[in-house]
Amino acid sequence: MILSPAERSYLYDSLSVQPPVRPDARSAHQFRPIEASCSFLPNSNGSSRVRLSDGGEAIVSVKTQVVLTKNESSLISIDVDINKERDDSNFIKNLISSLESILLKKFPIEKLKLTERYSFKVYIDCFILSHNSYPLGLLSLCIYLALKSTRLPLLTSTVNDREIEEQPTFNDDWEASKKLFEPSEHQDDPPLLFVVGIIGNNVFIDPSNEEEEVSENGLIVGFANGEIVPPVQSTNLSNRDSKGISPKHILKAYSMVRNCGKEVVKALNTVVSSDDDVFTSIY
Amino acid sequence: MDVISIIRPKVTGYDEEDSDVEMSDVEVNLDKDSGLKTDVVTPGELVTDDPIWMRGHGTYFLNEKTYSAVAGSILKVNRLLSVIPLRGRYQPETGDHIIGRIKEVGHKRWKVDIGGKQDAVLMLGSVNLPGGVLRRKSESDELQMRNFLKEGDLLNAEVQSLFQDGAASLHTRSLKYGKLRNGYFVKVPSSLIVRSKNHSHQLPGNISIILGVNGYIWISKNVSSNFDSTNSKTNKHEAKLVNHGKEYNPGQGTLSIPKLEESSWEIYSDKNDPDISESIRSTIARYVNCIKCLSHCEIGITEQRIVTAYEASMAYENAGSLIDVEVMENIGSDVINGEKMRGNG
Repeated sequence: MILSPAERSYLYDSLSVQPPVRPDARSAHQFRPIEASCSFLPNSNGSSRVRLSDGGEAIVSVKTQVVLTKNESSLISIDVDINKERDDSNFIKNLISSLESILLKKFPIEKLKLTERYSFKVYIDCFILSHNSYPLGLLSLCIYLALKSTRLPLLTSTVNDREIEEQPTFNDDWEASKKLFEPSEHQDDPPLLFVVGIIGNNVFIDPSNEEEEVSENGLIVGFANGEIVPPVQSTNLSNRDSKGISPKHILKAYSMVRNCGKEVVKALNTVVSSDDDVFTSIY
Repeated sequence: MDVISIIRPKVTGYDEEDSDVEMSDVEVNLDKDSGLKTDVVTPGELVTDDPIWMRGHGTYFLNEKTYSAVAGSILKVNRLLSVIPLRGRYQPETGDHIIGRIKEVGHKRWKVDIGGKQDAVLMLGSVNLPGGVLRRKSESDELQMRNFLKEGDLLNAEVQSLFQDGAASLHTRSLKYGKLRNGYFVKVPSSLIVRSKNHSHQLPGNISIILGVNGYIWISKNVSSNFDSTNSKTNKHEAKLVNHGKEYNPGQGTLSIPKLEESSWEIYSDKNDPDISESIRSTIARYVNCIKCLSHCEIGITEQRIVTAYEASMAYENAGSLIDVEVMENIGSDVINGEKMRGNG
């Protein structure tokens, strides 16, 4: 996106006053409205679609496979596909590495364990149909919804197969399936990543395309179970030279994400539970 | 605390039982004189099988029958039949007041993105250059083109003429045209802009707005045009530097109008007004959201409607709540109801 010098300085000045005047009058901690739905792909264990008001859209599908635990280096595999973007481009690799760094660390792996020998392997496939701003925030919301709506078939065979080797068998009644993340267990929700833009002394969440273009720097902050979790990365949101980050910025971003995160999780959980009703009514 | 609002996708489901509509049941509105459909047509729909009609834009001819190529309404001029698309790229017409963004600097011309099928052309000869209106463009002007307008710059201009292929040629030969400063740029579909006599307006709250016919809108602080000379000097200085020490006097050897020369570098300055207050900035943001509301509700955008929407938006203290779909629809219906009450809806 290219801005004229006058536009750029107007946006920059607006975002650096206290409190920042964002171009769409949002407050610093306010997200753009999204449209979300989940559990709509019949062939996946969990799925979700999120659309942003600026036209960004992502679809995430979660599929699982039973594997021998000792043969797998990781039980989670993430793949990101962006329309008109090469799979080996830096842009995609950076997105995947950001997502992996939080999911691999903060994912409750023990939930995937089936028996002593076997586990579920989770494949998270993300497809970004279109994006105008940096898609990591959008993708993270989408992955959260997909994982929250993921259902796994109920294991009917024995859990202990250390002595006698036995292939796990499952209940073929889908109604008896279990959710990967039970709604009651608030303690381990899937982790989320938030993108925070920095201008002057101000930090603001979910920057739009124009805000990214004028921002001096960006932060990616992880959030899980009501707390800030690693990774906290700085990222260059625009193609222009970025400025340094001071500890003040990081602290501001932390407190903002901590406050917003809870609200976002609450809103997303409402989506999951309402779509879950639809799901159970079909089967 | 308003952090995020999530809406559910609208289900445009069709009833499973009556999903098929019998074609014979559909009543087709036919014009009595011409035997043509009068309402909206969709691409591929038969418009007429009468070979007497000449086929205009938005139609195609197959096996002696005329079909619509776009979704839109039928327009008949004598025997010429065309379909005016409901949506689509902006089609320039001579005299349109538009806003564009410089895309490319070329030989004696700028290519300007105006949201149309083709980029518009702004010739070096159709702009006001420093040194007065009445002068020839010299070679040094050609070398200076990036000091006047460069890639990314926004300007407002008028469509001077159209080329054979429909591309527009622009001009900025008036002080009301030229580079845009002190504000914010919004884009809406060009079909929503209602053509009128005047496209630049003053809005309550000390705000100016330019409603480009091509759907590009510029909202800025209302600046009275008393130029200070500091900006013009800086730009002039840049111009000298580029010229490798060779003195560049705008319009050398030609007659210049002194009054215009004083202000001339001003019109190409990139510097915003240094004191745009926070309240002006938030007012601009609120107007931007109001325009997005109108655009979301597919309401034609006029000065009056923007003001009405702005007044309706005052019910929401926090202008940030105007980005919610529900609020946008409320404001849209407020605008429509307001017009109905006044009897011009």
